[in-house]
Amino acid sequence: MRRLAILAVLMAHLTAAQASRSPGYAAYERANRLFVAGKYQESFNAVDEALKLDSKLVPALTLKAKLSMAANRYDVAKASLEQAIAADPSSWFAQFLYGFQFYQQNELPAAKQALEKAYRLNPRDARTSLYLGLTRESLGQTQEALKSYREAIHLGEISGQLDTDMLLSGSRLLLRLGEFDECRQWIDRAIKLAPNSRDPHFESARLSMKTADAARAAKQGEIALGLRGDVTDRQVHFLLVQAYRSMGREQDAERHAAAIRALDEREGK
Amino acid sequence: MPSSVLGQIRFEEIAKKAGLDFRLKNAASGQFHQVELMPGGVAAFDFDNDGCMDLFFTNGATIPELRKSGPEFWNRLYRNNCDGTFTDVTAKAGVGGEGYSMAVATADFDNDGLCDIFVAGVNRNILYRNLGGGRFADLTAKAGLSGIDPKRGKMWSVSAGWFDYDNDGWLDLFVSNYVAWDAAGEPACGAPRSRFYCHPKEYAGLPNQLFHNNHDGTFTDVSERSGIARSIGKGMGVAFADFDGDGFTDVFVANDSVRHFLFRNQGDGTFREIGLEAGVALRDDGSAIAGMGVDFRDFDNDGLPDLVVSGMINDGFRLFRNLGKRGLFEDLAQRTGLEMGTRPFTGWSLGMYDFDNDGWRDLFVALSHFPALERYLGRAAPLANRVFRNIGGRRFEDVSAGAGADFQTPALHHGTAFADFDNDGRVDAVVTTLEGPVKLFRNVTAGAGHWLAVRLKGTTSNRQGLGAVVRVTLPDGRTLYGEATTSVGYASSSEPLVRFGLGLNAHVKQVEVRWPGGGVQKLSDVKGDRTLEIEEARR
Repeated sequence: MRRLAILAVLMAHLTAAQASRSPGYAAYERANRLFVAGKYQESFNAVDEALKLDSKLVPALTLKAKLSMAANRYDVAKASLEQAIAADPSSWFAQFLYGFQFYQQNELPAAKQALEKAYRLNPRDARTSLYLGLTRESLGQTQEALKSYREAIHLGEISGQLDTDMLLSGSRLLLRLGEFDECRQWIDRAIKLAPNSRDPHFESARLSMKTADAARAAKQGEIALGLRGDVTDRQVHFLLVQAYRSMGREQDAERHAAAIRALDEREGK
Repeated sequence: MPSSVLGQIRFEEIAKKAGLDFRLKNAASGQFHQVELMPGGVAAFDFDNDGCMDLFFTNGATIPELRKSGPEFWNRLYRNNCDGTFTDVTAKAGVGGEGYSMAVATADFDNDGLCDIFVAGVNRNILYRNLGGGRFADLTAKAGLSGIDPKRGKMWSVSAGWFDYDNDGWLDLFVSNYVAWDAAGEPACGAPRSRFYCHPKEYAGLPNQLFHNNHDGTFTDVSERSGIARSIGKGMGVAFADFDGDGFTDVFVANDSVRHFLFRNQGDGTFREIGLEAGVALRDDGSAIAGMGVDFRDFDNDGLPDLVVSGMINDGFRLFRNLGKRGLFEDLAQRTGLEMGTRPFTGWSLGMYDFDNDGWRDLFVALSHFPALERYLGRAAPLANRVFRNIGGRRFEDVSAGAGADFQTPALHHGTAFADFDNDGRVDAVVTTLEGPVKLFRNVTAGAGHWLAVRLKGTTSNRQGLGAVVRVTLPDGRTLYGEATTSVGYASSSEPLVRFGLGLNAHVKQVEVRWPGGGVQKLSDVKGDRTLEIEEARR
């Protein structure tokens, strides 16, 4: 699931690479097409070919970084991005990816520094603001994080990039802060945006539990359970145990508790 | 509630002045062995019955041998001289120990009026019987408490606690086990030049253990028979309370990165693990936290024991409020401010005590991040401890900034023991620090309220009355509740007295004790600002 999330981020920026006529450009374009088609090994071979022809071709270096992250080779990604930044210090996308790979590796201070630089280079990219928000939140900078989430949502609206990650990252923080009204607004927008995604329904159910509406929580939880998303089955089952127990529906609660125990058993926990 | 007492909670660190020169050694040598992260249990108990709480510290050992190669690795016993100082009496008492020790649990297991010591560790557990006269005897083998499981051998024990699960008047022993580990098979985590301690997911979990007291100095391993061993976790702190009021003491185990366990005592010698059903197994988003310290006592004075559990940075410590209906708890961390107030911290041991005696139990947490994670967290591992004031049972307010200069010093804080070491009615705290000196935080809160400490003496119940519930009724009819337990925090043990802050009330209308066997005793018009001894009426 984590790999898919990374690819989703990377795909969103496929067109962000700057066109550059260089000896390696044709090979890079082929690599990019293969990447989009999901042919990662072939793409990797083509991008290496491009870099042999032009070792400073920034789009090829960022593509190599993206491929490396998808293959969980963050060391290679980091080296490629450092080369890209050295070749073109004004490339916000290289900076963004540089920060993103630090974030993925939980190296939060370095992620923050790189993402702030990417933001200075291009303050209009919603994803940069989102990851800046996530990083700041992990570093305990709550108000700054919330500001970044709001900005990500705003920029997402303007650019047409708005997605559930932006809305739900913000809503989760609002839930922790007890700002339930705004939290509900963001969750409802996420449901509207992606009605067939598990995560918005799960967050809706969580908020309903916090506002003592167990019936609504159970309803949203059951919807979430039938959908796919980053939230795990275990998380949804646990929420449903609480919702049904609050409603006095012990058998339903027991069914979901048993499902968690079965998952634990299967995973050897 | 009972008062308008508003004294700022303050502490003064006096370990050196008090003669406490203990240093906790974990034997870390850059190999990132998981055991190095975990030590530091400490106990506050009165081994010589002089009315002043003494201290026992657990200590590490060499790695990979897991031997106490010299006195620097000894566990240590310090006698409280009742004059603000302590004396190291380890050698005379014969309790220096062996093996890599983690935790200590103190209680009078044989009902002889002398408090005994159980030490839990990586490769060795030890039961010391208090012989009187400042001497102890190692009874581990005879008692059957070496902790060696027939199938798994000696498991790495991190915490332990005494409670009477079958109400037979004799204390039984619960041992919380962490993960399967051996030095030779230590996994390597992080890049070769920037190694760090591995996540618990790299190690297999273990079952916990329950030992029944046979009343003759021996114990029977009932882990399987009781159902305790059925649940495999990564056990850290353990705490006891009769959360459902059925007269039988239940067990909570905080687990590291897997769901917590709440073992409901079914009253027939068996337990059912109901953490999921009760709502205490996971955070409210269904995620497991890196649970460490736990306290199982009433935070909102409704007569129902609640749970507070510490976790790692960005977990947010949890507060599970006991709803008193159908065994349900609600996660109140967000609403009480504890979630946001603790997200930046990694908490080890903790304790809910009324530090300003205003009638509400506050929260003291020993903090430190894991070493070698600076590049990930953006901050150094040593942290200053925190104290949160309980505001009317509705929220916790971080009052650490005003808690005194000594309270602002960062260190790798781990274990805690709580007791009133100077008998001034204000609860003090002892905190161990990894590879550092112990700290004794003397409570110097000015304007603290009146208080009452209850020392229980069981006759048909266990001698210390552990598991008894004390209810205090104030002159205006309001009530405060406390359970007798020594199992508080992480790997540690605190004084067995049941303490109450009375606010502006210098006396209480009634003190009611419900003993573990169900007997109830009441005392009327009790004067405060003293330790009240209550002996169980013989039935």
